[in-house]
Amino acid sequence: MDKRVYLDSASTTYVSSEVMAEMLPCFNTIYGNSNSVHSYGRDAKAIVDRARDRIAHAIGAEKSNEIYFTSGGTEADNFAIKGLARAYSNKGKHIIISAIEHSAIMEACEELEKEGFVVTKIPVDSMGLVKLTDLIHEIRNDTILISIMAVNNEVGTIQNIKAIAKIAHDYSIIFHTDASQALGAIKINVQDMEIDAMTLTAHKINGPKGVGCLYLKNGIRIEPLIVGGSQERGKRGGTVDVALVAGFGKAVEIAERDMIINQQKLRSIRDYFIRSVQEKIEYVQINGHPQQKVNSIVNMSFDMVDNESLLMLLDMGGVAVSIGSACKAGSTEKSYVLQAMGLDDEHLKSSVRFSFAKNLTRSDIDYAVEVLQKAVERLRSISALTKAGRR
Amino acid sequence: MYSTKTLERFKNPSFAGGLRGANATGKAEDEISKDLIKIYMLIDEDGIIDNAKFKAFGGVATIVACDIACQMLVGKSLEEALSITEEEIISEFNDIPLDRKYCATLVEEAIKNAVEDYYKRLEKLEKKMAESQN
Repeated sequence: MDKRVYLDSASTTYVSSEVMAEMLPCFNTIYGNSNSVHSYGRDAKAIVDRARDRIAHAIGAEKSNEIYFTSGGTEADNFAIKGLARAYSNKGKHIIISAIEHSAIMEACEELEKEGFVVTKIPVDSMGLVKLTDLIHEIRNDTILISIMAVNNEVGTIQNIKAIAKIAHDYSIIFHTDASQALGAIKINVQDMEIDAMTLTAHKINGPKGVGCLYLKNGIRIEPLIVGGSQERGKRGGTVDVALVAGFGKAVEIAERDMIINQQKLRSIRDYFIRSVQEKIEYVQINGHPQQKVNSIVNMSFDMVDNESLLMLLDMGGVAVSIGSACKAGSTEKSYVLQAMGLDDEHLKSSVRFSFAKNLTRSDIDYAVEVLQKAVERLRSISALTKAGRR
Repeated sequence: MYSTKTLERFKNPSFAGGLRGANATGKAEDEISKDLIKIYMLIDEDGIIDNAKFKAFGGVATIVACDIACQMLVGKSLEEALSITEEEIISEFNDIPLDRKYCATLVEEAIKNAVEDYYKRLEKLEKKMAESQN
């Protein structure tokens, strides 16, 4: 295989050199346990504190101690959903989420249902947006938590987070959002947006894998998910991985610092990709919101083409893409996100997610579209489906 | 997920596409995956399958299963074609993910439908000939 093009940045990203430089000393120079009282420990704690400050600053948190480090977005989602629900279960046992949440939220809710909690999944429209009237309609006297993701990982639709948070607070309900795909893509200010709890992860913004955090507004109670130590103000046991946290802090700082230029680049890459695809390939549908979406993700359906076969042919040509979410890959299950958006079976089965990084060049995109065009033509030539459907 | 052998066959299937002059077509559809396949056969006067081709809207396993089946079909009598089993198709894969085994069932069904289609066409033809003789 010669040329390779990575169009799967919504799954994960490479670690930038600036981030790596920040991490390296933590492996063999500043290797203390940030919980130790001696100078080695204090040195490590200083690094962890700086990362905490950087993240708190980037998201507009009031205090740095509102950041709780976790092993990533999945743990932060589990921590938020289970921890908040259990801490407020004396007030009520009803939780509202959307039908297009990440599987970490979905499955954490399923576990809570076994504990007697009731979970309502509110639908989305054909563009992936939660309807605010639907949300209000589902609120009950015993609703304690609303969790709606900021940016959807499969189609890139941006929710009206500020309006949703406002509704939650009108009814004195805690509001959590999974902002894993939003960081660096849209401006986030937790105070301005009235967010009570928010999931973040490092590896979507050129940080390392295995680290994330939960922002939790001071004054809101939470039950720990992982016990066994007093770390993270007693809310998350386990020695803090200083290198990962340092990398995370740096990645967030850069994402915030370079957001405008990065987004300009990504928009131009994405628009060029869409234009090229539409010029060269017929019968393509773009799934998701036409405007209210991030620049880094585009989800497309190619009529008459099975998406697994397309993914494999693209891979054979060196082009990496995703079908739906990487967290659900390898299963024949169809995307519940696209299903919730009301896509028909044919478009569901022919949908592919392309996601972009700022370092992609025009020639990368040209190459990817060329491989894509060939693969689509080839699969259409042997497809049992015709333009008229399943005849 | 798939073996190199499977992927190689997926990349270069020998029996993919339409078949000019096919005198039997069998369709099969999977309810869950929504895979759709069509198997085309060219059957000679002695009832031997001269050639077979397929079209598929499905994943890697489905395309490969169709290709394996078509290869098996060529040179067989209709009776022999009907005796091709799911297990035989599956055994041609070095490996097949558990959740993709349905594709062999699909292929078996499409072969049955193709043979049925052939007999139906034959019946129609014989009827026509009888009518024209009268």
